[in-house]
Amino acid sequence: MHLHPIETVEDLYNYLYVAIQLEHATIPPYLTALYSIHPGTNLDAYNLIRVVAVEEMLHLTLAANMLNAVGGNPDLTGEGFVPIYPAYLPDGETDFKVGLEKFSMSAIDTFLNIERPAVVDSRNIKRSGLLKISRKNISILPSFKSSAGEELHFHSIGEFYNAIAEGLKKLTKELGEETVFCGDHSRQITAEYYYSGGGEIITVNDLDSALAAIRLISEQGEGYEGGIFDYEGELSHYYRFQQIKLGKYYHKDDKPGHPSGEDLSIDWDAVYPIQSNARMEEYPKDSELYDGAYEFNKFYKKFLKELTVALNGKPEMLLPAVGAMFRIKEMSYQLMRNPFPGKEGITGAPTFQVDSI
Amino acid sequence: MDMNNEQLDEFLEMSTVLTAFSAYKLKGTGQLEAYFNTVVEIVGKATMDELLNAYRKVKKAANNDETVLNKQLRFQILSNDKLGPITRNIIKMWFIGSWYQLPNAWRENYGEAEKDSTFVISTNAYIEGLLWPTIDSHPPGAKAPGYGTWASKPQISEL
Repeated sequence: MHLHPIETVEDLYNYLYVAIQLEHATIPPYLTALYSIHPGTNLDAYNLIRVVAVEEMLHLTLAANMLNAVGGNPDLTGEGFVPIYPAYLPDGETDFKVGLEKFSMSAIDTFLNIERPAVVDSRNIKRSGLLKISRKNISILPSFKSSAGEELHFHSIGEFYNAIAEGLKKLTKELGEETVFCGDHSRQITAEYYYSGGGEIITVNDLDSALAAIRLISEQGEGYEGGIFDYEGELSHYYRFQQIKLGKYYHKDDKPGHPSGEDLSIDWDAVYPIQSNARMEEYPKDSELYDGAYEFNKFYKKFLKELTVALNGKPEMLLPAVGAMFRIKEMSYQLMRNPFPGKEGITGAPTFQVDSI
Repeated sequence: MDMNNEQLDEFLEMSTVLTAFSAYKLKGTGQLEAYFNTVVEIVGKATMDELLNAYRKVKKAANNDETVLNKQLRFQILSNDKLGPITRNIIKMWFIGSWYQLPNAWRENYGEAEKDSTFVISTNAYIEGLLWPTIDSHPPGAKAPGYGTWASKPQISEL
């Protein structure tokens, strides 16, 4: 899939589909690290990762609200919606691997990459945050084809959201706000249907609310204007994870990179020794682990289907669907506590292969 | 504690028969070692050996016939004055996450162990009790269900 500059509402649908896909793609890596922590240990890190994962779910919902607002249909069930891990995301001129791994320093480094504030080096970059470079790996963020047919790449996730904001402004100007924001308002996930999940849900019905949703997504991740907090005064994801790396909490007036608060108590060993980027087909076919992974994938596929139903005009179905998240945790623990047959000292893990079911 | 892997596997296997949960599900609770150790700590290694020997005999007699296995388990182990109460305690541990003090008659006949009192094995053992999945519920106070799931009917799987 290539993205084009946003010229039409159809282009906008493609971008917002990718936005939903992108927000979702961060959730399996966060959940894998989260559930690999022995219950009752590493409480500081556990809570930090959990809150970020919940906020990613908010971002996904916000992206879906945007797509519904412009008359699109969110779909979390298509083939390829869930990436095959390890997958890649852009970080400036290179890309980095996003995998399913246990709670470890390397996982935290990946998480920092995912949430890294965009630092745009204007010398090498095209207008609107696009780079003319060749990337070896297939990124979760599709490449971009300019109107002249030139293949370009987004510099970062932040630049991708900027492109959506610019597209929304352009289309609103050309077609009028009412034409662009023609979606049925009853399809919006409103606060009534969204229970305490990582901040306030924004219902999108015009340009301002759409831009506010984009702002919330970007700033919860990366911070606001280079600071460590977002505009609501909450520590952004990048700096939350950095606390785990540096082993210290941030205080209110701290400078980026220099937290001065309390120490975090981290025990890197109180973690299930799970297989990284586990694949169902690597588990012996006659093993209970294989069955467990299969059941997990079946359940996750059903979960994405239920979310899709909720996001397509049945917002009252969202809470029952999200209730299922608790089964996902249970099933993850079971996989992670069972040895990987034939691999000494390694346990199983969920594989998130919904396309294989 | 020095843990004999072979014994642990036998204990797991016996537990699958006692609870009707698969080895995968039992290992999935993360409590296998803790329960094994609790039994050994309270009744001693010799009695654990005796219990597992009895299970091995029952299994041999059953020769892969599940009906015979269940019947023999009741005759030879659950009805045994010494091994029965311990075995029932193992079932309770898996389901509730607590050790229950052995009956007085048992304590009079086989000796009172210092640690034989009623206690919760660990904070996680309570959470991982098989009781909760059995009734499709959650351990109150320890594991939140999804918001609003209390309005859905429990989905109880067939064993």
